[in-house]
Amino acid sequence: MSSKPQALTSTGPMRAFATNSKKITTELIEINEDLMGFNEYLTEYYKQLASAWEVAQKKVNLKAPDVPQDVEQIETFKRIWIDIFDNDFTELFDSKKFGANYGKLVSKELELTKHWNNITNVILQSANLPSKEEMDEVYKEMHSLKKRVGKLELELKKKEMSKK
Amino acid sequence: MNSESRIDPKIIEEMLKFTKNVMDAPKLVSAPDEISLEVTPHDIVHELDKTRLLHYRPLTEKQHKTPLLISYALINRYHILDIQPEKSWVRNLLLQGFDLYMLDWGSPTSMDKYLDFDDYVNGYLDSAVEHIKNESSNEKISIQGYCTGGTIATAYAALHPESVKNYIATAPVIDGWRDTTVISNLAKHMDVDKMVDIIGNMPPEFMYYCFSVLKPFEQGIEKYVKFFKNIDNKKYVDNFLRVEKWLGDTPPIPGELFKQWIKDIYQDNLLIQNKMYVGGERIDLKKIDMPTFTQIAVGDHLVSPVCSMPLHYAIGSEDKTLRMYPTGHVGMIASSLSQKKVLPELGKWLAERS
Repeated sequence: MSSKPQALTSTGPMRAFATNSKKITTELIEINEDLMGFNEYLTEYYKQLASAWEVAQKKVNLKAPDVPQDVEQIETFKRIWIDIFDNDFTELFDSKKFGANYGKLVSKELELTKHWNNITNVILQSANLPSKEEMDEVYKEMHSLKKRVGKLELELKKKEMSKK
Repeated sequence: MNSESRIDPKIIEEMLKFTKNVMDAPKLVSAPDEISLEVTPHDIVHELDKTRLLHYRPLTEKQHKTPLLISYALINRYHILDIQPEKSWVRNLLLQGFDLYMLDWGSPTSMDKYLDFDDYVNGYLDSAVEHIKNESSNEKISIQGYCTGGTIATAYAALHPESVKNYIATAPVIDGWRDTTVISNLAKHMDVDKMVDIIGNMPPEFMYYCFSVLKPFEQGIEKYVKFFKNIDNKKYVDNFLRVEKWLGDTPPIPGELFKQWIKDIYQDNLLIQNKMYVGGERIDLKKIDMPTFTQIAVGDHLVSPVCSMPLHYAIGSEDKTLRMYPTGHVGMIASSLSQKKVLPELGKWLAERS
């Protein structure tokens, strides 16, 4: 025997509401899980930046230990600072460890976007509007049709040319 | 007290001047929408979907017989080739008597996420070439491809050699595994299937991120310090704003095209191995048998010289030239060096074959 609240959601508009709520809740739970992973990679990202900054600053201190006293010295100091920082950060951005972590960070961000898309799809469908997947199907079909028409036009053109 | 007295008063003076310049900037600088990047007069002679074919009006009485079509990169837009009269690639070629066309790829929307390499090579580029051939009554035309546009043009030259009289590859992306740039490093670790599946087209914001990590301190700090220091220099400010507007105008890249790009060029490096397929046909670089001129910038931090150079050795052409210039990726096409050295050499080479 079903309880009254269960019976209430098994039919009519409340059924759809219950199903949608469940879908949205599931997505929100998964968002929290992915957010933890995202934060992990984001922390590593900033850790790498902070570490590169620290090393670069130490190099600057070694190369230009005195506080600049005039405009010319400030310019020289600035040049040294920019060159060392650009070199060190480019080395970081070129490194495998940065690329790998950044790839994972973006991947997690995409997971979060996917959950958001899924929630939006639930809302769109509850309002009888096409979901992202349905629109993608339309775009795909249009693309394929355009290609076919293009090829047919080309063939037609070739036939006309050969008649002439 | 002693340390205070050692400070050069000029430092204070400079700081005050700099602050004043920052405060005055809004009054002296035009808003981006007030700046037009369309410099050299042209006509739109052909359109297909969102692409447009620009035909520049001649600046000389006589012109070389073979027209030249520029296939610009997919990142940012073609305006950098005509950013201002003194540094205009377009204007220089027109003054050397070339009949010049430019293919504007337009700005793809979500609707265009399924556009792929085939659409760009065998669709848009081929359609532009056919139009020029008909309009100019030539059986073949010259093509120049820049950066990622160079990769598309390379694929085209290999698949349609019968339509290409001369090919100019300017910093083309060819050998992805050799590329040592930051962009290549990020591309190699990218889950591109997931990206395209979830967000469709490659968003401009991602490209802005990639640009921001290239020489971050020179480009992110020093460039703007110089700008504020030169705020009274109208010419400097105008040039700066033009380039900034151009930098900020990056269209999205269609998802399928981007996916194939990252996988085939950067991750699997198929193009240089003659294993890449476009529209069901294999790209064999040996089929590029027309005269070919490859231009490389030694200081290129967007496309490594070693990424572009292999094209010269991989093609089948017997008439081929490789030139290296002491400049950067953009410097090669929009600088005083490009006007004094790169363009005259290109013009001479092309004139002899046009």
